[in-house]
Amino acid sequence: MTDWTIILRSMTSRLFSTLVTVLTVAIAVGLLVVLASMRDAGRRAFERGSGDMHLLVSADASPLVSVLNGVFYANAPRRPITWERYEQLVKGTPAEWAIPTQLGDSYMGLPVLATTPEFFTRFRPDAEHPWKAASGRFFDKPFEVVVGARAAKATGLRVGERVFLTHGIAQSRQAGDAGAPEAHVHYDFSYEVVGVLEPTGSSHDRAVFTDLASSWVIHAHDRRTRQDPAIKTTTEADLVAADRLITGVYLRLFTRPGSNTPANLPQVFDALRRDATLTVAQPKQEIDRLFVIVSDLNQIFLAIGACVLLASGVGIMLALYNSMESRRRQVAVLRVLGASKGRVFGLVLTESALIGVMGAIVGAGGAAIGARLVAAALKSRVGVVVTPDLSPTVVVVLLAGTVVLAALAGVVPAVMAYRTSVARNLRPIG
Amino acid sequence: MYALCPRGRLLLTTPIPLSIRDLKFRYEPAGPWTVEIAQLDVRAGEQVLLTGGSGSGKSTLLHLVSGLVDPAEGSVLIAGHNIHDLRGARRDLFRGRHVGVIFQTFNLLHGFSALENVMAAMMFGTIPRAEHAGRARRLLEHLGIERVDAPADRLSVGQQQRVAVARALACDPVLVLADEPTASLDPENSDAAIRLIQEACREKSAALVCVSHDPAMTERFERRVRLADLARPLG
Repeated sequence: MTDWTIILRSMTSRLFSTLVTVLTVAIAVGLLVVLASMRDAGRRAFERGSGDMHLLVSADASPLVSVLNGVFYANAPRRPITWERYEQLVKGTPAEWAIPTQLGDSYMGLPVLATTPEFFTRFRPDAEHPWKAASGRFFDKPFEVVVGARAAKATGLRVGERVFLTHGIAQSRQAGDAGAPEAHVHYDFSYEVVGVLEPTGSSHDRAVFTDLASSWVIHAHDRRTRQDPAIKTTTEADLVAADRLITGVYLRLFTRPGSNTPANLPQVFDALRRDATLTVAQPKQEIDRLFVIVSDLNQIFLAIGACVLLASGVGIMLALYNSMESRRRQVAVLRVLGASKGRVFGLVLTESALIGVMGAIVGAGGAAIGARLVAAALKSRVGVVVTPDLSPTVVVVLLAGTVVLAALAGVVPAVMAYRTSVARNLRPIG
Repeated sequence: MYALCPRGRLLLTTPIPLSIRDLKFRYEPAGPWTVEIAQLDVRAGEQVLLTGGSGSGKSTLLHLVSGLVDPAEGSVLIAGHNIHDLRGARRDLFRGRHVGVIFQTFNLLHGFSALENVMAAMMFGTIPRAEHAGRARRLLEHLGIERVDAPADRLSVGQQQRVAVARALACDPVLVLADEPTASLDPENSDAAIRLIQEACREKSAALVCVSHDPAMTERFERRVRLADLARPLG
């Protein structure tokens, strides 16, 4: 029989009330842990798309738009870059790789990125993991397509199927599907699905990838049939300089081993910007800029979480306050047996803090498990990779804060215990 | 009278359990005295019955003696120490160690076993923790409780009374205060109960002060004092 026996017995004698109170605290702590661990998860999820590229070159109006279009497929870029300009750029830039990309077509509302095989062999959508094919292979010939993980899920495309691409992204999206009357489908050329990609947790998962040359051919065909409806086929031999267009270049500069920041980034950045027709963006910087705008939201979420925690503290206080009515006699008996006022004060305060400790452990543990489950579900169902990341400092501060708050919540009931009149509460009932 | 001399108590080897002098208490600052005692001494092992009608201040006197309320005047010495000179936790500790209290309604702790109820009395004393369970068990078994782990509130009224007695005696007090210990019992049980209390106190050499207005109790006590008579100094 110790003080702990009295505390634990008091808690178990009101088991339902105790469990509900612990649960309230757990939910609040869990919410805060999730919010705290997801604080940077959104930003990190966004940063995955740009992978290991250092610069994105386009002819878009601004760097942010360039990144939103070029990496996140927001819209098809309006202004193209000519192939000559690209070759010039490659020649004049000390880059590890410079991968041309072209956006403009779509398949069932999903963006189609026309590029070169280096997109798969050199560029990594997530700096640590290279591309992997879940089935089939990457394209290596014209008129082959590779489908992103989410795109495959959305369309049901499998290796071996044949598809037609639709001209334009925005158009087919607004129309709702590829078969809408205003959409122009490139019916003269069919593509073969040769691979489905594994999820990367980036924006690229919902794209369809094809060879740059075949994209030029189908658009050259459009141009030629407009001029002469009798033309039946178009090949690479029919291409003219005006057909060879791209909308972006993924650039990676040389870096020292172990570093991801190239020493010559500022110089290359400035050199490329001298051409007023080009927009040069550092994707990570643009994403950071974007997240500065939404960071207030994080603060609001955390404030809401803190309010929920505060409410759970009020819950503890209420539960113990209500229990004090029936515990007055117990307190009085303990006082007669030799317990000091301070001791009974401590009993109630400890019980309150204990509820906080239990709630904090259940909440933090539940949140840690829950966050993993949610992250796993998000990756497998939506293709979004969210890595919950929780610093031990945050956990310790949060748990300590919860226990302190719970103890504070116990002060009012503990004062009631402290001030319980022994003489009055030992009288016979009735 | 050695007990009259406050300094004299330092010379005594066994101070008397209870010594009250000129004790006055009232609830309202200008109201009538609820308790007024010129002198009352209880010797070691002595058993005293205090009688008086309801409202005569019997319970208040017990609260004064156990230090739960402070008097306006006078002193209460328990084993030679003025309990009202002790402050806060020290007074609570002193009460727990030296005074056992038996209540009319037993006031056992609900949700705790008979054993735990007795051990609760030892929590605040000086008995080493390792000895608590053994001592409590022996005491309960001696008083006829076999199911010491049964919840106290599931025991029969008679057994609850025994647990209450065991709890009052758990720390070997010099003084046991019993507040109307038979008021909630029928005549048959009531006689058994008071006999139990008296025998247990005798065995433990604890002085017993019992307050009651039950006339059936009178014959069981050799020393009977009417509360009203204590207001006057003894001739």
